[in-house]
Amino acid sequence: MENVVEFTNVTKKFKDFSVKNIDLQVKQGFVTGFIGANGAGKSTSIKMMMNLLRPDVGEIKLFGLDYKKHEKAIKERIGFVYDGNVFFEGLNMKDIKRIVAPAYKHWDDKVFYQYIEKFELPLNKAIKTFSKGMQMKASLAIALSHHAELIIMDEPTAGLDPIFRRELLGILQELMIDGNRTIFFSTHITTDLDRIADYIAFMQSGELVFNQSIHDVAENYAIVKGRLDLLDRDTEKAFIHVHRATTGFEALTDNTKAVQNIFGNSVAIDRASLEDIMYHLKGGIHHV
Amino acid sequence: MFNLIRRDVILQKRQLLLFIPFILFFIIMGKHPAFTFLVASIFIPFNTYAYDEKAETNILLNSLPYTRTEIIASRYLGAIIYMILAIGVTSLTLLVFNKPFTMTDIAIGCGLFLLFAAFTFPLFYIFKPGYIFPVVLICFLLLSAIGPAIVTFLTEHLNAITDFIVNLTVTSLYTGATLSIMIVYAISWGLTNIIYQRKAL
Repeated sequence: MENVVEFTNVTKKFKDFSVKNIDLQVKQGFVTGFIGANGAGKSTSIKMMMNLLRPDVGEIKLFGLDYKKHEKAIKERIGFVYDGNVFFEGLNMKDIKRIVAPAYKHWDDKVFYQYIEKFELPLNKAIKTFSKGMQMKASLAIALSHHAELIIMDEPTAGLDPIFRRELLGILQELMIDGNRTIFFSTHITTDLDRIADYIAFMQSGELVFNQSIHDVAENYAIVKGRLDLLDRDTEKAFIHVHRATTGFEALTDNTKAVQNIFGNSVAIDRASLEDIMYHLKGGIHHV
Repeated sequence: MFNLIRRDVILQKRQLLLFIPFILFFIIMGKHPAFTFLVASIFIPFNTYAYDEKAETNILLNSLPYTRTEIIASRYLGAIIYMILAIGVTSLTLLVFNKPFTMTDIAIGCGLFLLFAAFTFPLFYIFKPGYIFPVVLICFLLLSAIGPAIVTFLTEHLNAITDFIVNLTVTSLYTGATLSIMIVYAISWGLTNIIYQRKAL
């Protein structure tokens, strides 16, 4: 299986924040959801993926190519959608197309107008008069009109109403029918991912905690509930994080099988949602 | 890269309608033709920076298949192209209004514009957005207020230099000035390029 994006040991330091030792692979032909709390380092990673930021240490390759030598060739193959509107807000869609289209060798006017029609976007109205959802659709129409192989999106669903969010996910699903396409998108609304993601990459305090298929995440991670007297120094080792209450404990494990072997039927094991995982890992990763 | 230069016109369609009245104002006010050429040249390139100082614009341009070197080159080449166009339009307007001007006026206007651009373009990439326009405006006002005084001071007190300049033939004076301006412009271009390469977006 080929990797479209490859981060090898990437580190980027800022004054009060850093992204450390990231090894991330994004597989071709799949949807990878990029999750993590606000400030976990998702946007920084995406900016490095787009070469807006350069890593202090480590190597970043897209399509097996290096930004130093192949910047234009790489960006020709990427469609990008950012959280906010990056297009000149005073311009209408027609003028934005006039500016963006000539930048791409493979720009396809036919596809562009198809999306304009599909998304019911006005061509002659300034972008700033668009609602948040329409701006999102406008960005998407532009990102999808040059036959990009990799679509990178930073928080595309943030600030959208539930109906539009679902519509967007539908559009993304349709895109994936073309087997060569890869979608990488960050979100903190984890329920978006249950519907469409094949892989989940999870960032926490500047570190990549895991990057697994959604199936593996469901299989390995579990929420375990039981009586407090079951916990001791040895049994706790099976958990990543334990939350104690007077009525009993709730813990997260990344090794469901081990927990089954240790506790048998004395505990309740439930599937851990992505939100459960994010919550239990909020203090960082360290086995108790 | 030509697309990057052409972008300025698409962005400034509406402002361009103001261009003629803008020049007319200076012509009717009876300003020196060289000064009119200068302000006319400044119009488009500096208007573009009003858009480009926004962080989003830099994110957009850098996400498109352009390199940072190309983005800066389009600024510096674009400034020259728009300067030439602006001078053409201004000359025509002056002719229509039957105002006399000389090639020297054009040369002085161009020279001053290129120098002004050379000193201010790097600032757009050093200062944070929002601070730049005041900085440039202050620079411009200071230069126009103090500039002539400095020149007068120099001519009065530094005889060695003035003697040297006065003794130059017209040709060598022009060649010297052209060369120095070109060198300053090229250094500014190189400097901005280095700053922009390192900029975190």
